[in-house]
Amino acid sequence: MITAGLVEALTGIVGARHVRTAPAERLTYARDGLPTHRRVPAVVVLPGSRDELAAVVRLLAAHDVPFVPRGAGTGLSGGALADGAAVLLVLTRLNRILSLDPSNRVAVVEPGVVNARLSAAAAPHGLHYAPDPSSQTACTIGGNVAENAGGPHCLKYGVTAQHVLALEVVLADGRVVELGSPSGEPWGPDMVGLFVGSEGNFGIATRIAVRLLPQPRAVRTLLAAFASLRAAGEAVSAVIASGIVPAALEMMDQSCIRAVEDSVYAAGYPRDAAAVLLVELDGHSDDAVVAETETVHGLLSAHGAASIRVAADARERERLWQGRKKAFGAMGRLSRDLVVQDAVVPRSALPEVLEAIGRIAATYQLTVSNVFHAGDGNLHPNISFDARVPGLRTRVDAASTEIMEACVAAGGTITGEHGVGLDKLRYMPLIFDAESLAAMRAVRRVWDPEERVNPGKVVPVHACREWSGLRIADRGLRIEQQARSPAQSAIDNPQSAIAPRGAR
Amino acid sequence: MIDRGGSEALDTCVHCGFCLQACPTFLATGDEADSPRGRIDLMRALETGELAPDDPALRLHLDRCLGCRGCEPVCPSGVGYGRGIEAARAMLATRRRPPALARAALRALTSPGPSRIVYALARMLRATGIPRRLAGWGRFRFAMGMLAATRPTRNAKRGTRNTRAAASSAFRVPTSALLFRGCVMDGLFSHVHDATVRTLGVNGWAVGETPGQVCCGALHAHAGLREEARLLARANVAAFGEGDVPIVVNSAGCGAMLKEYGHLIGAAGFAARVRDVTELLTAGGGPRPGAPVDVQVAYDPPCHLLHAQRIADEPLRVLGAIPVLRIVSLPDAAQCCGSAGLFTLLQPAMSRAVLAPKLASLRTAAPQVVATGNPGCVMQLGAGLAASGLSAAVRHPVELLDESYGAAGYYA
Amino acid sequence: MSLLDRVRALLGDDAVEIASGPDAVPRVAPASPDAVALLLGTARQEGWRVRLEGAGTWLPADAPADLALTTRRLDRIPAVEPQDLSATAEAGIGCDLLRQQLADHGTWLALDPPGLAGRTLGSVVATATAGPLRHGFGPVRDHVLGVTFVTGDGRLVQSGGRVVKNVAGYDLTKLEAGGFGAFGVIVLVHLRLRALPRADQTLVLEGTREDLTQVAEDVAAAGLQPAALELMSPALARRDGWALAVRLAGSAALVAAEEAGLRGASGGRFTALRAEEAHGFWMRAAESFATRPITFRTGGLPDSSDELLDLLQHQVGDEWVSASPGVGAIRWAGDTTVDRLRRLRRTLAGLEVPLTLERAPWPIRSAVGHFGAYREGVGPLVAGLRRTFDPGEAFVVAVEGSD
Ligand SMILES: Cc1cc2nc3c(=O)[nH]c(=O)nc-3n(C[C@H](O)[C@H](O)[C@H](O)COP(=O)(O)OP(=O)(O)OC[C@H]3O[C@@H](n4cnc5c(N)ncnc54)[C@H](O)[C@@H]3O)c2cc1C
Ligand SMILES: Cc1cc2nc3c(=O)[nH]c(=O)nc-3n(C[C@H](O)[C@H](O)[C@H](O)COP(=O)(O)OP(=O)(O)OC[C@H]3O[C@@H](n4cnc5c(N)ncnc54)[C@H](O)[C@@H]3O)c2cc1C
Ligand code: SF4
Ligand code: SF4
Repeated sequence: MITAGLVEALTGIVGARHVRTAPAERLTYARDGLPTHRRVPAVVVLPGSRDELAAVVRLLAAHDVPFVPRGAGTGLSGGALADGAAVLLVLTRLNRILSLDPSNRVAVVEPGVVNARLSAAAAPHGLHYAPDPSSQTACTIGGNVAENAGGPHCLKYGVTAQHVLALEVVLADGRVVELGSPSGEPWGPDMVGLFVGSEGNFGIATRIAVRLLPQPRAVRTLLAAFASLRAAGEAVSAVIASGIVPAALEMMDQSCIRAVEDSVYAAGYPRDAAAVLLVELDGHSDDAVVAETETVHGLLSAHGAASIRVAADARERERLWQGRKKAFGAMGRLSRDLVVQDAVVPRSALPEVLEAIGRIAATYQLTVSNVFHAGDGNLHPNISFDARVPGLRTRVDAASTEIMEACVAAGGTITGEHGVGLDKLRYMPLIFDAESLAAMRAVRRVWDPEERVNPGKVVPVHACREWSGLRIADRGLRIEQQARSPAQSAIDNPQSAIAPRGAR
Repeated sequence: MIDRGGSEALDTCVHCGFCLQACPTFLATGDEADSPRGRIDLMRALETGELAPDDPALRLHLDRCLGCRGCEPVCPSGVGYGRGIEAARAMLATRRRPPALARAALRALTSPGPSRIVYALARMLRATGIPRRLAGWGRFRFAMGMLAATRPTRNAKRGTRNTRAAASSAFRVPTSALLFRGCVMDGLFSHVHDATVRTLGVNGWAVGETPGQVCCGALHAHAGLREEARLLARANVAAFGEGDVPIVVNSAGCGAMLKEYGHLIGAAGFAARVRDVTELLTAGGGPRPGAPVDVQVAYDPPCHLLHAQRIADEPLRVLGAIPVLRIVSLPDAAQCCGSAGLFTLLQPAMSRAVLAPKLASLRTAAPQVVATGNPGCVMQLGAGLAASGLSAAVRHPVELLDESYGAAGYYA
Repeated sequence: MSLLDRVRALLGDDAVEIASGPDAVPRVAPASPDAVALLLGTARQEGWRVRLEGAGTWLPADAPADLALTTRRLDRIPAVEPQDLSATAEAGIGCDLLRQQLADHGTWLALDPPGLAGRTLGSVVATATAGPLRHGFGPVRDHVLGVTFVTGDGRLVQSGGRVVKNVAGYDLTKLEAGGFGAFGVIVLVHLRLRALPRADQTLVLEGTREDLTQVAEDVAAAGLQPAALELMSPALARRDGWALAVRLAGSAALVAAEEAGLRGASGGRFTALRAEEAHGFWMRAAESFATRPITFRTGGLPDSSDELLDLLQHQVGDEWVSASPGVGAIRWAGDTTVDRLRRLRRTLAGLEVPLTLERAPWPIRSAVGHFGAYREGVGPLVAGLRRTFDPGEAFVVAVEGSD
C-alpha cells in the first residue's frame, strides 16, 4: 500500500524535489513512445544514485509495493508504465559514463545514459557503441538492455545482447548483484544474456558494461528506388543470400517516404517510388567495400531498382539516415494517432507478407506505412488513424492482430525489438504454448518471487489471478485480494502448468 | 471549427521523445514534467479540462519552460511547440495575472515613458563601472552582471553614430531597409544599432528610421499577455506601413516575434518583410570582407534565431567575413543559455541550472569573445561569465564586423 | 518392473542399449523430443538420476547415474533455409554431418568448437564451447536463435524462434547455451547461418610467444577484422615454436584486402596455407583438445591476455594452449589436479576472470565444478533456476563442484 508515510520515507531517501506526487506531474509519465496505452503512476521517484535507488527498492519491498523502472520512456510496447498501485522509478538522473577504456574497448555506464551520448563520448577514440535504435538520440542504455534493442546497424553488428558484457542489478528486494565479467565471459550460466531483454521484470540494471567497436574506416551508402514492394523485398533476399553482410539494409514504403519528405528531416527520397532500400556497406578496407558495393549495386539493378544513388559524402549519408531514423516521428504528420507495430518474418517471406499487410490494410480501410529493418526481416507496419473517430480503434486492433497472425503464419515472431510490454501480451500465445509461457513466468519468479517489478508485463496472465493465485500457492495468504481490472490478456490461465508443482 | 488559439499546433505530437535531449530544462532536472513532451501532455490536459488552470504543478512546469523552442527543430512530426505554449500561457493568464515581478519588469522595460527613465538610469549606473565589480551569483549580483554585459566594448565606439557615409560604397547599389529598434535594444544596445546601420551600409543597404514603432511584444506574449502583445503588434504594423521594404532586426527575440505577427494578428505581409541583420548582410554573396581582427570567438546561437527563425549559417558567414578571426566550436552550442526573456528573473534557479553546462563548455573552449545575436543572451552569458571569473566578452556578431570594417577604413 | 522394462515400455525396445563402459549404466536414446519428455517425466516420478550424453566424444561418460540419456537419435535437420540464412537441427546431429548438409546449401555455421568432428550440436550449445572463430563471429550464443528443451521433470519448453531477431518473452535460450545441461536437455536448435565464404584463407606465423603477441596487437590496431586470430602453443599447432594463425573469410575482395592489410601490419611475415593444409591445421588443433583429460576456458580483457598466459604457464603449464587475444579468451588442455584447478580459479577470480571447466573426469569435475562458486548473491539465483528446470534434481551435472 502506498501511504503518506511511505511517500515521506521516499522523500527522506531522494529529497523532496525528486518525489513527484502531484497529479499533473504524474500525468506526464502516463505514456511511453506508444501513446495508445495510458497509466498514471501513484508516485514518481527520480533517484540520484545507485545507492539511493537500492534504498528506495528496499523500502518498497518492505511495504510490499510494486514498482516500474523507466528510462527515457521511448519504449514502444507500454513497458515503462506504472498504474495507480505502483511507483515509477525514473532513471534519467543516473546518467554518468563511469569509465571508458579504449584499449579494451569497454565502457561502463549508468542506465540513464542516452545511447547517442555514449557513442559521442567514444568517438574521439575512434570507437562507437554499435546498437543504434532509431530512437538513439533519446533512449537510454538501461532501456536498451531491458528491451534488447536493435537498430539498422544490428544486421551486421548484432543487437544489444551481443554488446553487453556485465551488469550490476538491483533485485526486487533491494539486493545488488553483479552479473557477468568485464570481458563478457559468463561467470557460470549466462545470467547477463538472460537479463537482457527481460523488460524490467528481473530487476533494475544500475551499471552496464558494454563493448565498443572501432568505427568503420570505409563506408558506402546506397539508396535504391523500386516500383513495387515485392521487387524491393526480393532484392533484399538476393542481397542476403549473396553472402555479403551489409552493415544495414532498411526499407521504406511510399507513404513513409512522403511523411519523411514533408518533415524537417527530408532526405531527398524519391516521392514517387513504391519503396526505397537504404543499404550501407562498411569495413576496414576501402577496396573491399567498393567491391562489395558494386556487387550489391548489380544485385539491386538486377532485381528491378528504378534508380540507385550512392551517397557522395558523409553529409549526404547522414541526411539519408536521419530521414530513416526519424520516420516514426514523421508519421505523426499523417494523422493524429499512430500504432507502431513490430514483427519479424523470415527474410524470404518478406514479399508475401508485405502483400498480405497491404491486403489487410485495404480490408480495414486503414493507412499502413512500412519502415523497417529489411535485412533482418524485422517489419514495422505502422497504422495511422484518428482515435476520435468512433469505432476506428477497434478496426485498428483487429487489423493489428491479423498482421501479427500473418507474420506468425509465415514462421515469424510478434516482436523483434520493441518487446512485449503491455501491448503484445495478447499475441504471446500465438507463438508460445502454455508450458513455455509458464516456464518464463517461473524464471521471472526466481528473480522476483512476488512479481513486484514491472507487474503485468511480458507474460500474459490474467491480472487478478496472477497476483492472488500465486501468492496463495506460495505463501498461503491473501485469498481475499480483490480482483483488479483484467489486463489485456488473451490466455486463460497458463499458470496452472507451473503452480502446484508438488501435485504433478 | 473552434478557434483553439494555437493549441492545435500540438496535435501532431506522437510522444516519440526525440525532443527530450534537446530541452535544457529536461537536461537540468531529468524530469519529464520539465520536458517538451511532458509539457505537451500538460497543455493537452489543460485544454481538455483534465487539469485546471490554477493547478500549481501544471503552472510550475509550464512556467519553467524557457520558450527557447529547442524542441521544435528536432521534432520529426512538426509540432508547433512555441505556438502551443503561448496559447497555454494565454489561457493561464486569463485565470491568474502574471507575477508582480513580471508585470513590473514589463512595465519598466517596455512601456515608452517609464522605460526611458529606467534605461537612462541604467546607462548612468553602467557608466560608473560599479555593476561590473558587483557581478556575481545571487539575484542582485547577477542582475548587475547582466547590466555590465550591455556595455559597449571600447574600440567598438570608433566610427560615428548612425553614419550613412559608407553607404556610398560602390559595393552595391543602395537598397533601403528599415531598422526595428525595440525596447531593450534601443535602451541599452544602441551601439549595436549603430553597428547594424554602418555594416549594412557597407554592404549596400541604406537603413532608414521608422517613427512610432514600439516594443515587439515578445515578452508580453511569453508571459501570456496576448492582448497586450496584439496591441503592440498592431502599433508596429501601423508604424511600418505598407510596402515591401525589408524590416531589419538585430535582436533574435524580436525578430522571431515579428515573424509571428501573421499568426498573432493576421499581418502575414508584415511578417514576410522581417529579416535578421545577418540575413541581410549575407544576401547576395555578402558580407564584404573587412580588415583582420585577431581574436578567438565562440558563436553561441540564440534560440530565437536558430530554433525559432531557423537561421544557422548566416551569423557564421558574417563572422567569416572577418579575416584572421578564429571560430572555436562549443559542444551543445545549440542549447539555450537560460536567458529566455524574463525567465532569468522569474526562474533564477532553473535559469542558472540551464546556464551551468554552457559556462562549463566556455571554460574549456576559453574564447576571447562570445558572439551572440540577442540582447537577453548577451546579458545572461555576460553575467554568467563574470560571475564565474571568466574574462571573455560577449558581443553581437555585427559589432565584430563593425570593428573589422572600421579598421579597414570603410567609414573614413 | 525394472527400470529397463519401464523404459522399454515407454519408448520401445530400440531406444535402449546397455552401455559398454565400466559403469554399465543403461543408455537410452529417445528418437523424438516427446520421447525425451516422456522419459524425463517418468524419471522425475521414479526419482531416477540421469546423465546427459551427446555422442559421448567430449565429456567422459562417467557421471554416476541410473541411466544415461543420449541425444544421438535426435539427428534430423528439419530445415535449412539458405535464403534466410537459418536452419533448424535436432540436438543429436553430429557437427560434421551438419556442416556437410549446410555446405550443400551454400551455407555455413561459423563455429569451430574443439573436440572430435562427430560432436553433437547439442553438446556444443550446452557447453558453449566456441573455437578460434569466436574472434570474428562471437560466442556460441550468438549463433543460436532459439532452442526447444526438456526440463528435468519432462516439460517441453520452447524459447526464441527461428527468425534472426526476436525479443518475445525472456531469453531462456541464453540459459541453455552454456548451461551444461543443468537447466534441461536441448532437443532442437534454431541456428543463425552465414553464406559459405567465397574465399577462406589461413595464414600462419611462427615465433616466440612475446613476438606473436605483439604481432596480434598490431593486427588489431590496424583495424583488421579476421575471422580468427589465434595464438597457439607449439604442441597444439604442431610446430616448433608458437604459432599465430589468422583466418580470413568472406568475399574475395574482402579477403584480399585483409590479407594485404595483414602483411602490412606484420611486415609480410605470414605464410599462407593451401586449402587442405588449412583444413587439416584447424581440425588437428580442435581434435587435440579431446586427447587431453582436462580442458577449461578463461575469459579476460584483451590487454590481460599475455599476463593470463603467464599465469597459466606458471600454475598448470602451457603445453596445450590456444588463445584469442583479440577477445581475451583462452582455452587450456592438459592434466592437473583438483587443488591446482581450485587455486588457479581463485587467483583468476581475484582478477575478475572466470574459469569454466569444460571437461574432466568425473572425480575432478564433481570436485571443481564447471562453474565453481558464483559471485555474491548470484548463487541463490542459479539455485532457483535449477530448481525451476530440474525440481527433482534428476540431472547429474557437476555445476558448482564441492569447494
Ligand atoms: C521513434 C522511435 C524509434 C524507435 N526505434 C527503435 C529501434 O530502431 N530499435 C529498437 O529496438 N527500439 C526502437 N524504439 C523503441 C525504444 O526506443 C527502445 O525500446 C528503447 O530501448 C527504450 O529505451 P528507453 O530508455 O526509452 O526505455 P523506457 O521506454 O523508459 O523503458 C522500456 C522498458 O525498459 C525497462 N527499463 C528501463 N530502464 C531499465 C533499467 N535500467 N533496468 C531494467 N529495466 C529498465 C522499463 O521498465 C520498460 O519496461 C524506438 C522508439 C521510438 C519512439
Ligand atoms: C557561491 C555560489 C556559486 C554558484 N555557482 C553557480 C554555478 O557554478 N552555476 C550555476 O548555474 N549557478 C551557480 N550559482 C547560482 C545558484 O545555483 C542559484 O542561484 C540557486 O540555485 C538558486 O537557489 P534556489 O534556492 O532558488 O534554488 P532551488 O529551488 O533550491 O534549486 C536549486 C537547483 O536545483 C534545480 N532544480 C529545481 N528543481 C529540480 C528538480 N526537480 N530536479 C533537479 N534539479 C532541480 C534548480 O534549477 C536549481 O538549479 C551559484 C551561487 C552561489 C551563491
Ligand atoms: S519530438 Fe515532437 S512528436 Fe516527438 S514527443 Fe517531442 S514534440 Fe512530440
Ligand atoms: S521551449 Fe525550450 S525549455 Fe521549453 S520545452 Fe521546448 S526546449 Fe524545453
